[in-house]
Amino acid sequence: MRTDRRTFIQLCAATSGALVLGVDFAEAAEETAKPFEPNAWLRIEPDGRIVMKVGKSEMGQGVRTSLPMILAEELDVAVESIYIEQASPGPSFKGLGTGGSGSIMGQWMRLRPAGAAARAMLVAAAAERWGVSASTLQTSNGAVVDGPTKRRATYAELASDAAKQPVPEKPQLKDRKSYRIVGTSRKRTDGPDIVTGRARYGIDVRVPGMLYAVVARAPQWGSKVESFDATAAKKVSGVRHVLQIPNGVAVVADNTWAAMRGREALRVNWTVSPHASFDSVEHMKALERAIEKPALTIRKDAEGRAAFEKVKKTYEATYSYPFAAHAALEPLNCTVFVGEGKATVWSPTQTPNGVHAAATQVLGLPESAITVNVMLIGGGFGRRLGVDFDREALEIAKLVKGTPVQLVWSREDDMRHGYFQAASVHRLAAGFDDEERLVAWEHRKASTPHNARSVPTKDDKVNPETVRGWAWGVYDMPYFIASAEMSYAVVDAPVPIGPWRAVFSPPSVFARECFIDEIAQETKRDPLKLRLTLLGADDPSVSPIFDVADEHIDRRRLRKVLETVAEKSGWATPVAAGRARGIACNVFHTETYIAYVVEVSLKKAGAMPFRVERVVCALDCGVAVNPLGVAQQVESGVIWSLSNMKSEITVRNGSVQQGFYTDFPVVMIDETPMSIETHIVASDDDRPHGLGEPAVCPFAPAVVNALSRLTGKRIRSLPVKL
Amino acid sequence: MPQRPVTINGKRHVIEADDAMPLLWVLRDLLGMTGTKYGCGAGVCGSCTVLENGRAIRSCQTNFSDTGDKSYTTIEGLSAAGDHPIQKAWLAEDVAQCGYCQPGMILELRSLLRSKASPSSAEIDAALSDHVCRCGSYPRIRKAALLAAKSGGGR
Ligand code: FES
Ligand code: FES
Repeated sequence: MRTDRRTFIQLCAATSGALVLGVDFAEAAEETAKPFEPNAWLRIEPDGRIVMKVGKSEMGQGVRTSLPMILAEELDVAVESIYIEQASPGPSFKGLGTGGSGSIMGQWMRLRPAGAAARAMLVAAAAERWGVSASTLQTSNGAVVDGPTKRRATYAELASDAAKQPVPEKPQLKDRKSYRIVGTSRKRTDGPDIVTGRARYGIDVRVPGMLYAVVARAPQWGSKVESFDATAAKKVSGVRHVLQIPNGVAVVADNTWAAMRGREALRVNWTVSPHASFDSVEHMKALERAIEKPALTIRKDAEGRAAFEKVKKTYEATYSYPFAAHAALEPLNCTVFVGEGKATVWSPTQTPNGVHAAATQVLGLPESAITVNVMLIGGGFGRRLGVDFDREALEIAKLVKGTPVQLVWSREDDMRHGYFQAASVHRLAAGFDDEERLVAWEHRKASTPHNARSVPTKDDKVNPETVRGWAWGVYDMPYFIASAEMSYAVVDAPVPIGPWRAVFSPPSVFARECFIDEIAQETKRDPLKLRLTLLGADDPSVSPIFDVADEHIDRRRLRKVLETVAEKSGWATPVAAGRARGIACNVFHTETYIAYVVEVSLKKAGAMPFRVERVVCALDCGVAVNPLGVAQQVESGVIWSLSNMKSEITVRNGSVQQGFYTDFPVVMIDETPMSIETHIVASDDDRPHGLGEPAVCPFAPAVVNALSRLTGKRIRSLPVKL
Repeated sequence: MPQRPVTINGKRHVIEADDAMPLLWVLRDLLGMTGTKYGCGAGVCGSCTVLENGRAIRSCQTNFSDTGDKSYTTIEGLSAAGDHPIQKAWLAEDVAQCGYCQPGMILELRSLLRSKASPSSAEIDAALSDHVCRCGSYPRIRKAALLAAKSGGGR
């Protein structure tokens, strides 16, 4: 695979001319050529180059590698022959967002027909040229071939004729059995650029004449600028402007460091914050109070909680989960140039169309006058679905019109002004019959829904459909338990809450999967066996498939991954001295089925008082487009989840207390498990499902379950303190 | 503002900058060499790592006035063709996830292999233990490091 050298970022980097010239040049070049362009995703240039638009943001999940594989498969070309261009929002690209682990599935639906349609048109062009029926022709590696006569025409030769063919509405897609590319392991397209430092992330955008900006933001949420004194800041050498924007005061300078020093010298008076007394310890208590009573029911099976009146025995536990930051290594940033009647934005964004919309609002320009370039992302994890940082950059660039400006958030800015994972408290209850069978289930969750991008209304908070959407991992509990009731209590907080890796799932799955383990312990059953039983392994009357809301869970697939992980990990065999095993599983959005077995041991000291020695993962994600990428996402999810067992975000007096990797420590190489195995379970599901998020959810509970076994003490909150 | 010569990737540059400006920003903003990454500015993440006379240092903690007559290597200068044994090992193991931490990791490893050509797995962990990879590419970093050591990354 090659990256198209014409993508205009590289053009700008390579020329010393004006940025706008770069843009115009790229557009002009496209106009004069007459490529075969059957749809927005693909064009074949007259010189035979196949150019594909990548409609997802690359943040390490490998879309610039896996998505071309899908197109190449249907088009029947070598992946290496595809040039890629990052798609920019515009009339052809109105929905470019990247999130929810939906990239591979969403693009599968688009790129396959796109490739297949182009292939059909190329075949039709060859058939016309040779006067034969299209059905007698085949394609092979970028050419149409006529078997009997051995005639052959390359796609390049056929491109201009193909352009005259009608676009088939329902092109014939390849049968799964004939895949040659999908399902093979492929290394990352961007690898060579990454190891040589050529890869350009948002923060690496360099445009001639650009300035650099940092923003002084309110130390407490809800404060506004009352006044500021820029005298000292302006004396810092290199500082050019000190400007008030809606979110604070921007210092614009010749370089990032001067801007940061200017901000240190700046004096800002802030209005009193309405949230100046907010404290996360008090907030946790409010969450605990909120689950004392059931709140809004989001799922009820059979008798619901009323079933607890008839049970022989009830077992209960309360779990809590902290606020957590994204802490991606590339701090938030955005570069904007506002010219006369037009503007260009370079953003490491997960929501290009969101940035486009924000730019039209802030600049008052039509969408057609604004180009948004989607840059490589140095870690996204959901944070870059927000456009708060883009908006700040746009506000600043509007005030320094004619000069490109790059806004950079410092590490501390990035951590303190995050859109966090919400803290939550969970109360779970299990009811048993005379034979100690689990017959009643209750899961109450109290938390704060997303409020950073839009604040939920009063109506939202009492609408079970909306509220259910905030309770992933609670309402889609996969086990069969005769009566069950799940509820969610909204507890508002001034802390900005936004999508975090696996969104609402990790806390809910943590509580649920640890509680299942407690039940196994309480009733002296093997936690694997209990899960299999609850998934209907011994009881044909348990429906293998069930629907909850609009999701469709197949218990057999979850059983299969559990059985696989048990076998591969040697679950039934004794574990080494000083270690214990733990198990947990989950179905993410009814699409990716995943289970872990881990082995842990105790450590004497350190921020993490234990060590994960071995991780075995089994998963069913339907079609694994790039198995290498699948295994990498598992490793990444494991380490993310492990970090979450080590650190938390706390708030005192309305301010986040952490600012660096020292006080919000993430897992380092010497804490990484020595062995992480991934086993992909073959599946009849002929669609590919995501893994960036699913790999996160059941890992922490598997570790906690192992630790509880090792220490004899149940752990019910994160970060882990032994 | 003082002008100073500084040698980067074998090339001598004369740069005008504040004495206290960290080398990180000299590289990134004054020279436009963006391979060296900003991750924390506080010496804790390692993403700004460069080689100073062959030894890994954190460029965010190195003042411009201290660069003196030393010679620096950034990721752009590790090899002319991107084929240093460490770079090759990195590609062979397909290490990168987002890739943002990787220039720092690679140069730290280069520094380790220079003083210790065949480190153990534990020594690799120790040498890289103050480098953040938020994406968690560590398992593959370990593999690539061992492979690089075997294939002459210390030369
Ligand atoms: S940027 Fe220098 S150590 Fe983080
Ligand atoms: S690969 Fe993303 S931070 Fe290391």
